[in-house]
Amino acid sequence: MNLRRIFEEHPERRYIMFGGKGGLGKTTFSAATAYWLASQGKKVLVFSVDPQASLSDIFQRDIFGKGPVQIMENLWAQEIDADQHIKAYQEEIRRKILDMYGFDSIPDEIEQYIQAASAEPAMEESAIFDAVVDIVVEGKYDYYIYDLVPLGHALYYLSMAKVYDEWINKITKLREEMREYEEMVARLKRQKETEEDRILSELQYIRGRINASSRILTDKEKTAFFFVIVPEEMILIDTRKAAELFARFDVPISGYVVNRVVPRELLNQNIPPYLRNRIQMQEKYLRQIDEMFGNQVVARVPELERDVTGLEMISRLAGIMYGK
Amino acid sequence: MREFFYGMFSLEFVSHAVEMRTSMENLFMLSTVGDMIGLPIIPPYYSLRLLPYLVPQISLWKRRMLREREFTDEHDYHLEGL
Repeated sequence: MNLRRIFEEHPERRYIMFGGKGGLGKTTFSAATAYWLASQGKKVLVFSVDPQASLSDIFQRDIFGKGPVQIMENLWAQEIDADQHIKAYQEEIRRKILDMYGFDSIPDEIEQYIQAASAEPAMEESAIFDAVVDIVVEGKYDYYIYDLVPLGHALYYLSMAKVYDEWINKITKLREEMREYEEMVARLKRQKETEEDRILSELQYIRGRINASSRILTDKEKTAFFFVIVPEEMILIDTRKAAELFARFDVPISGYVVNRVVPRELLNQNIPPYLRNRIQMQEKYLRQIDEMFGNQVVARVPELERDVTGLEMISRLAGIMYGK
Repeated sequence: MREFFYGMFSLEFVSHAVEMRTSMENLFMLSTVGDMIGLPIIPPYYSLRLLPYLVPQISLWKRRMLREREFTDEHDYHLEGL
């Protein structure tokens, strides 16, 4: 299998994700893949959900919190500013309270809650999660490329979706029961119909959002998830564990991309023992990778002589990954 | 007349239903904005969405949950036989 074939044979896989430990090249591959798809005439959005995003660095443009920024023809990039998103959201909640009750200001205990809630560590993840739904549900692009956060966060994301979903189900049921009692009281007291329960419709909305986002991550048809690995022992051990966890959350794994492979041809040159040893070490792990993942290994990407930043290098890398 | 029948037949049902509704309300508030009284149940992103609708109930609910009480308050235990 190779990367290009996967894209050609599965044009329905429109949500592309690169996941892996930090610093292995997720952003680089996201950018290169976005570049290649865009140059094939597809409309592509590559976006980052990482609070420490590096798309700005790789495209050498400051795009943080600016919405989708066009990088070149067919290619947009976006870095979600979670803080900004949370602030806007808090403001929306305050506005709603003021409007609903005609207050001049938010009551103290409510305001305290809004602030305390937003300081929770989970707030940022949830905010990003939610922002992603907005981006993807709009459906304006042919391809969405997630520059994913490191593995742990991604797993947290997924497990959160499950927890949320269960929570919402329970609450919704409880709310429905409450409503039944309310109706019963109204009937017995011969009052008119109870008004529509807005909390219930809000809960249903929330459930829709959560389902939408976890569906995207676990959609076998439309999602392609690639693990980025490098030929090193610790990475392999971690990746194998992570892959098992991902499988448990039903994330469809489309393949493994091996990064930072030192070109073997160098062995024919007069190179220092240091480099020779590295190449031999990598060979050992490359063999292990092939044994472990077999034909799920979709690309081997060489260690380049300089880092990948700027469109020129991205284009070169895209050439290596997908062919011209 | 209608009031009379209401009092005779329905009052007890109604007060029972209201009671049930209240205890469910407690449960509901607890599981949505429970972190307000120190019980973090879920990440609060979505509970904030519900907050505007809960505003009128909040202070009453907090008072209900946090007031000191005897364990016998919750139910009318019949302790006569003891």
